[in-house]
Amino acid sequence: MQIAEAKKNAVVVLSVDGRVDASNAATLEQKILAVIAAGESRLVIDCSRLEYMSSAGLRVLLIAAKRLTTGKLALASLNPQTRDVFDIAGFSSILQIHRTQDDAVAAVQ
Amino acid sequence: MSRHATVALKNDLAELERLSNVIEGFGKRHALPTAALFDLHLALDEILTNVVSYGYDDQHEHEIIVRLTLGGDHDSRQIEVEVEDDGRPFNPLETAPPDVSTSVEDRPIGGLGIHLARRVMDDLEYRRQRGKNVLVMRKTVAG
Repeated sequence: MQIAEAKKNAVVVLSVDGRVDASNAATLEQKILAVIAAGESRLVIDCSRLEYMSSAGLRVLLIAAKRLTTGKLALASLNPQTRDVFDIAGFSSILQIHRTQDDAVAAVQ
Repeated sequence: MSRHATVALKNDLAELERLSNVIEGFGKRHALPTAALFDLHLALDEILTNVVSYGYDDQHEHEIIVRLTLGGDHDSRQIEVEVEDDGRPFNPLETAPPDVSTSVEDRPIGGLGIHLARRVMDDLEYRRQRGKNVLVMRKTVAG
């Protein structure tokens, strides 16, 4: 897994590349918590290069959602399989999921 | 072409990558559809993560055996995967499903893994056998 960070206006965009499972979810968690600790309050996770995410990754997203004010975290470009995982876990109803990164950025702006 | 694949994993989360390679190899060999492979992957990943994270009371190295089998005929193939570990007795079928309808604030962190595995596979069977946990998961693949 690799994470790239970019900033669009007041929004931090983290692009996750590869697979997120229990062996590396802590790296994603540290990255997100570091961004929040640095004072950032609007976050987009771009999943266009995310191949796979297990419950270990969902756990990290839930932690992030609990830390940020409602509506200031959004996900973009989930593949259909990962989207299914979000649906089964009931995450589609608590996290904002958008088709494109631009849509996600606009939503938390 | 072998319809079986067996891999012995250590109780270390770093082994998930090796597991992933075995599943991908199995999927390629049998031309399994991407979606079915993804589900198999997710279920195995969640079960293994659980065993490695919570299954052992000591710090010793343990072996977890994963056996993949492709059964059925060409019209309706069935993936069967068996996970055998020598951890403390644990029947994942006895865990209560998590409440997946609460708000972000009330949503508990964790407890989703087994729920995901049960949802993406068709059926699960558990038995305690000769001091080991044996979990069998099945999924039918069309075509």
